[in-house]
Amino acid sequence: MLSTFLSHQKKSFWRSRNRGGSIAAQVVLGFFMLYFLLVAGFLGFGMTVLLPKVFPQQDVMTSFNGLILYYFAFDFLMRLQLQELPTLSIIPYLHLKIPKHKIVDFLNVKALFSAFNLWPFLLFLPFCFITIAKVHGIVVVLAYILSIFSLMLLNNYLILFIKRKSISNFLFTIGGLILVSGFAALEYFKIISITAVSDVVFRTVTKQPALALIFPALTFLVYRINASFLRKNLYVEELSAKQEKKVSTDYPFFNRFGRVGELAALELKLIIRHKRPRNTVLMGMIILVYGFLFYKPQVLQTNSFGMMLFAAVFMTGMSIINYGQFMFAWQSAHFDGLLSKKIDFKDFIKAKFLLFTIASTLLTIAASFYCFIDAKLLLLHLVAYLYNIGFTTVMVLFLATYNYKRIDVSRSASFNWQGMGATQWISIFPFILLPILIYWAFNLFHLPYVGLAAVGIFGLVMLLMRGFWVNFIVKRFEQQRYKIAEGFRE
Amino acid sequence: MILEVKNLKKVYGDKTVVNIENIQIEQGETVGLVGNNGAGKTTFFRMLLDLIRPNSGEILSKNENVMQGDNWKSYTASFLDEGFLIDYLTPEEYFTFIGSLNNLSIADVSSYLTQYGEFFNNEILNSGKYIRDFSKGNQVKVGIAAALMQKPEILILDEPFANLDPTTQIRLKNLLKAQAGSMTTFISSHDLNHVTDVCNRIILVEKGQVIKDFKTDENTLKELENYFSA
Repeated sequence: MLSTFLSHQKKSFWRSRNRGGSIAAQVVLGFFMLYFLLVAGFLGFGMTVLLPKVFPQQDVMTSFNGLILYYFAFDFLMRLQLQELPTLSIIPYLHLKIPKHKIVDFLNVKALFSAFNLWPFLLFLPFCFITIAKVHGIVVVLAYILSIFSLMLLNNYLILFIKRKSISNFLFTIGGLILVSGFAALEYFKIISITAVSDVVFRTVTKQPALALIFPALTFLVYRINASFLRKNLYVEELSAKQEKKVSTDYPFFNRFGRVGELAALELKLIIRHKRPRNTVLMGMIILVYGFLFYKPQVLQTNSFGMMLFAAVFMTGMSIINYGQFMFAWQSAHFDGLLSKKIDFKDFIKAKFLLFTIASTLLTIAASFYCFIDAKLLLLHLVAYLYNIGFTTVMVLFLATYNYKRIDVSRSASFNWQGMGATQWISIFPFILLPILIYWAFNLFHLPYVGLAAVGIFGLVMLLMRGFWVNFIVKRFEQQRYKIAEGFRE
Repeated sequence: MILEVKNLKKVYGDKTVVNIENIQIEQGETVGLVGNNGAGKTTFFRMLLDLIRPNSGEILSKNENVMQGDNWKSYTASFLDEGFLIDYLTPEEYFTFIGSLNNLSIADVSSYLTQYGEFFNNEILNSGKYIRDFSKGNQVKVGIAAALMQKPEILILDEPFANLDPTTQIRLKNLLKAQAGSMTTFISSHDLNHVTDVCNRIILVEKGQVIKDFKTDENTLKELENYFSA
């Protein structure tokens, strides 16, 4: 059965309309993975030598122990963004003579094929065999391997559970967001230290190797929760959805923008009334936490804005990119209707710009709480904001005219996960790299503020040229509309 | 002449889906497009609405090519399938939106809708549902009512009778008949009874080509039945 599912998936990949694009993305992704695997292997084997050099004042075991949970905390955050949910369009299989647990099993087994489940081996195992085996003997090594292996699987299934749950539950997403940012803040302000906790935990394991069994037990528990959640939710959403009275709404704010505002309000309703776009936008908000990772005191003091600019562009523009990468396709179900109505294409495109600008403005305002760390960050965010509304919006909409792939927004969000992981991120890389390149060009001459100004001015110029860009995109849209409409009809 | 089709051709792969030399439609005609599955009816309608690019030929609406301008949109209303509805809106929101595109105020729209109470069978307005939550038949009703609300000079409907209950089918026929003469209507249907009843002209298509094009009279239904049973 598993192999049948696999072969169906293979077919759906090779026969898909956007095959060229997905293959290219997979190749790029493959290179990245290979690179990171090499780095992990290098670090893993070099750890015996490197650890004493990086942390000369402490014992090697303490450094190693401290790293483990720290790595998995980081792993957790990375997975949250990048790990793709294993998908299988389930509906055609549900009514057939296939036991439900088979479908669940398939989803769970497939989830194991992720690069995240390779790195810990390369990173931690060499040290276990080289150093720990010498000092503490084979039993402790086995305990370490068991713990690390279990933690990896724990993260793997915990992330899947969280992603699935957050797709179906809005409050859960918000709660998780607050929790994660809380921990990040605690670690940032040195109130608790993951490193210290990690050291204590693994010191105990060294003394009592049997205690390592707690980790597989935990993992098993999470696995069971995940599996049973999946099993209970193997229904088409409508069957379980509550029937509540829907009311007509009106957004007076948009009325001041006339026809454009009406179209923007229409799309806002689309976002609010469908789980999938709603969550796509929410994902953009989760990223607001990233500042804690990038805005470090030593970086702030030396004015090295490079990596911080990266974070700022992400934080203020992520929902544009997240939502925009599927642009027009959100409306694929009624695209024919829109085209045949009396809607000026110019208004249609302007409405998208309006929505993007509003979203980015709100995110920038929300991100301004980082000014408690350093007031410079406000300037940084302003630059990133200008770049995003000036340039990112144009790029996203330009690329949207090449997107012919239908999205079924009204389909249950819980089984409609395509495009919430790494593949989509790759198309985003250029947007993120460009401002950093501009900045670095000036930073080479030690002019960090001039670099920032250059990025800001670039964004501003693009913003001032918006009229031109609107016309440009409308022209592309007019040429492409038949192709787009055809793709959306499938 | 309000609509003219000239040498229209659409090819998918090596299959010609639509190949129409010439059709001329006068103002006020009610034209029925009849043909089996795969005859190219929907593709033809999509080209009328500039949703599909023909391989060759052109469609003139009031002597203007539909591909070159947007003017035809201001006097043409259509409902081909649910893809023409914005299904996450409530019917009221949808009518308001369509109304606003045609410069109708909210008051205009609601006064227009009062006459449709019977047609809607009180199931549609103030129902507290999104359009996507309605049955297919009720969705079609919303689509048709929204199209008529635009007071179009040209109305294009694809299989309007297909999902409607018998009462509504009859009501729709009466609605369409009442508009005959003032509005140019172009409908497709598999139901020979209904088309011959409503239309004063029938265009019979097969494999993308016009086989017959004639005015209806009392023998039309028999003729069509003979043709399709042969």
